[in-house]
Amino acid sequence: MAKIGVFICHCGENISATVDCAKVAEVVGKYDGVAISLDYKYMCSDPGQNLIKKAIVEKGLTGVVVASCSPRMHEPTFRKACAEAGLNPYMCEMANLREHCSWVHEKGEATTQKAIDLVRTIVEKVKHNQSLDAIKVPVTKTALVIGGGIAGIQASLDIANSGHKVILIEKDPSIGGHMSQLSETFPTLDCSQCILTPRMVEVAQHPNITLYTYAELESIDGFIGNFKVKIRKKAKSIDEKICTGCGLCTTKCPNKKNPSEFNEGLGNRTAIYVPFPQAVPNKPVIDKALCTYYTKGKCKICEKFCPAHAIRFDQEDEIIEVPVGAIVLATGFAVKKTDFFPEYGYGRHPDIITGLQFERLASASGPTLGEIRRPSDGKIPETIVFVACAGSRDEAKGIPYCSKICCMYTAKHAMLYQHKVHGGKSYVFYMDIRAGGKMYDEFVRRAIEEDGVNYIRGRVSRVYEKNGKLIVKGADTLLGAMPVEIEADMVVLATAGVANEGAEELAQKLHVSYDPYHFFAEAHPKLKPVETNTAGIFLAGACQAPRDIPESVAMASGAAAKVAGLFSQDELTREPLIAVVNRQAPPVFSSCVGCFLCMSACPYHAIEKEEIKNRQGEVLKTVAKVNPGLCQGCGTCVAFCRTKSIDIQGYTHEEVYSEVMALLND
Amino acid sequence: MAEFEPKIVAFVCNWCTYAGADLTGTSRIKYASNVRIVRFPCTGRIDYMLLLKAFDEGADGIIVSGCHPNDCHYTSGNFHARRRWMAFRSLCDFIGIDTRRIKFSWVSAAEGAKWADIVNTTVASVRELGPYDEYKKVAKKPVKEESHG
Amino acid sequence: MDDLRKRAKELIDTSAVKVVIGYEQGTGNKTRALFVENSEVADKLIFDSRCVQNLAAYVTKQEVKSKGKMAITATLPVMRAIIQLASEFQVNDDNLIVIGITPESKIIDFKNLEEVETYVHQFQIEIDARNREILDKLDKMTPSERWKFWIDELSPCFKCYACRAACPMCYCSRCTVDFNRPQWIPVSSNELGNLEWHFMRAMHLTGRCVDCDACANACPLAIPINLLTKKMIEDAKSDFGGYQPSLKGENLLSTFKPDDKENFIQ
Repeated sequence: MAKIGVFICHCGENISATVDCAKVAEVVGKYDGVAISLDYKYMCSDPGQNLIKKAIVEKGLTGVVVASCSPRMHEPTFRKACAEAGLNPYMCEMANLREHCSWVHEKGEATTQKAIDLVRTIVEKVKHNQSLDAIKVPVTKTALVIGGGIAGIQASLDIANSGHKVILIEKDPSIGGHMSQLSETFPTLDCSQCILTPRMVEVAQHPNITLYTYAELESIDGFIGNFKVKIRKKAKSIDEKICTGCGLCTTKCPNKKNPSEFNEGLGNRTAIYVPFPQAVPNKPVIDKALCTYYTKGKCKICEKFCPAHAIRFDQEDEIIEVPVGAIVLATGFAVKKTDFFPEYGYGRHPDIITGLQFERLASASGPTLGEIRRPSDGKIPETIVFVACAGSRDEAKGIPYCSKICCMYTAKHAMLYQHKVHGGKSYVFYMDIRAGGKMYDEFVRRAIEEDGVNYIRGRVSRVYEKNGKLIVKGADTLLGAMPVEIEADMVVLATAGVANEGAEELAQKLHVSYDPYHFFAEAHPKLKPVETNTAGIFLAGACQAPRDIPESVAMASGAAAKVAGLFSQDELTREPLIAVVNRQAPPVFSSCVGCFLCMSACPYHAIEKEEIKNRQGEVLKTVAKVNPGLCQGCGTCVAFCRTKSIDIQGYTHEEVYSEVMALLND
Repeated sequence: MAEFEPKIVAFVCNWCTYAGADLTGTSRIKYASNVRIVRFPCTGRIDYMLLLKAFDEGADGIIVSGCHPNDCHYTSGNFHARRRWMAFRSLCDFIGIDTRRIKFSWVSAAEGAKWADIVNTTVASVRELGPYDEYKKVAKKPVKEESHG
Repeated sequence: MDDLRKRAKELIDTSAVKVVIGYEQGTGNKTRALFVENSEVADKLIFDSRCVQNLAAYVTKQEVKSKGKMAITATLPVMRAIIQLASEFQVNDDNLIVIGITPESKIIDFKNLEEVETYVHQFQIEIDARNREILDKLDKMTPSERWKFWIDELSPCFKCYACRAACPMCYCSRCTVDFNRPQWIPVSSNELGNLEWHFMRAMHLTGRCVDCDACANACPLAIPINLLTKKMIEDAKSDFGGYQPSLKGENLLSTFKPDDKENFIQ
């Protein structure tokens, strides 16, 4: 038999001004199963809470209803008080008499009647409530960071520095990402390599970080705190333990004419290569797709010259399995290449390049050692045109969003050009200048006002070659769309930032949502920017949307803080308000019929198949099972289950049904 | 004769509409007291059978409300709910349940005024429609005989 | 018919399956289900236009399943039901072989369910002209008239659950109607209980019904309950672009599109 205690709060006069609290207490006190019903000025005060605690002990209450403010306000307060008096906290519920009644209705009988109805409803619910225990899940205190660009580097260092193990995997032979390709960085124009390489070295040397380059995620299993990941370590065809990184092999390799990814195709590399001089680890890999031995069966010149005998042509991919507790996704982004643009010649003209290629030209470590020279003939361009929003904010190109970083790097490019080519003329075609950020707008103004970059507001409709010049046709919308034509020596397209190839596949592997452009989706656009909808998987940097360096680093530190928070305890404690699939005695085992349509409805992939076996190991029945580590308690599965085999703790069928029944029947 | 006071049951999600209705309260916006709110974690949890049960028990009108698309605390519960409501409404309409008595809405945690408006307009329109005697007769609930004259 | 018998014998004789589910001559002018477990019985197999019972309802029955691997004589609606059941993990290539039968009574040997799916997907689920006319008529009524229509139609129902037994999609081990904590649907066959039972059944079949009419054919009172599911098929078509049973394991109501219609939401 239920013994419910009902505690009506006046909330000073917030409730009692329009609701007759004494009457509510009196009427409710007569209901079946209500052992005590009283009203008090401030239930949340110490004496108020003590009233509840005392009643629980003295009357042996089985449930408590506090009728006061919104449960969103004080539910934890009263549940804690109940727990302190020995009552299971989930046997305590609140009726919302303030926000949903006294504050929104005039004083009168109808308002008091509504208050009575609300309390009665919750009393009926509590009669069906069940004691629940918080869920505890163990935590493996190792994080996996996927992607070794600046975001992945920062996240790894922050997690490692908070005392936890990190496994960092990078698909390329070196960490560093896009940032390692950049010349200078806005808005300070400090050299990108100079600020990045110390971090790269720190990663390599950190005792808490295990770095696997040339490695990719193979598969993932498990849930927050308890993931099992398989990592594919692609064969580098060298023994890293023996290789000294002397680089002799890369000078001897006869297969030299391969476009260098690091230099965005503006330079060449050998088949056995280190992507760039400051690479971490600074040891070569053999590109199997290009190596003459792998493609034609003959060569092995590197093997002959290697003084350490570290070349291993028979090396195969290795798959390792590691347990991790959290994952940070920092896989970065890609930029559209010039071949994406028919209006700019489909990438056929060598002197129409991308912004990222311009970075390589401007970089002291680049193919021109930092001199701005045309790829076609090596001449220094006297007139250069920068086209912002190349692809971005263009519905017709399928990229309606702003790539965000282009305004700033285009200003930087123009500035660098002006600094390096004295007397050169530079033009920037732009739609809007989006320079929100600390010192950002000042930076753009400097380009315009101090360095004399000509900004033209308008789009470029076409670029074509004529008599050795690139004719840029555009319009100046600030001059009434007046046609503009510029004879340029070089054109730089600020091409759109897009999701990495394979992002969709990776997201599906990890059960992480992604947006229509295949950028990974954050759990909440405002309040959970580094979380994903899969608990324990976090986002950092441009894999979520185009991001500049400071933002990527901030996100990475944010994600690292989330991981460190998760790792701060040995067990995860979670509210038990999650779904459960019923279990019954054999031979039924569960009323679940195993249609698993709930699986496709669950936003969290929290529903698994459980095989119920006999002693001989034969499968008797396959039923749904909710993973308590993954379930967030939305209850979408509950409303969908035809056999009503799934229920959600805290909002069970019986609880909500009895609420509805009690609402209208006094 | 006193004006007919319809009974309205509201099924709302915890994160948006319930919080929105809290905001109506903290903003002290007054609205009709005919509504009784039942809280769910998410619109995805709202079982359509509960809506029928509310009519069984004598509700004259129903409000179902949750987070706007893309605002769902659970990412997609409201999208699932929306599909289910489509099917539910179709079937209600086909079987002759008066769909004008069921109001679906999105009310965010910031839309306190909208919540008051939803309640007030629903109460007004259901008052216009009168008591849901058609359903009550089938559910064997007492039906007030109209006193003419 | 010879082809069918030959195929059944072959499957039994080679122990490819333990039982072949088909039709035999019943009493009067009716046909009934036949369970062929040895090759002599296979000679009783028939197939003609009277064979409309949806045999897929048997493949989820424990008594049949426990015999071992099954083969089933399958017309288009049966094949659709089989694919839907496969998508709901009730049958698979390891426990079921489908012997397809074309409208011309030709046998199709399917290697696996994927082939059945490909065959099924050639045809859209279409409401027949006679029922479409009835649906149109009902559509033109006012809600109150429809309410009266359905209360009248459903009131004789005495909840024998023949519709549920005949439906290949009603394979749940515990039907919601048998759920009593809480008692969602009144057990007695009163107006309200009948209405809610058939309402709920139609909801459960939304996106799953294969339009085989087994429910209505099984009803001893000839209540046109298939109109409910037919209407849901029609509306699924206009609201969501329709559906086809598919091995993908998704359902019209377990999935969504971010741009689903919401003109009814304020």
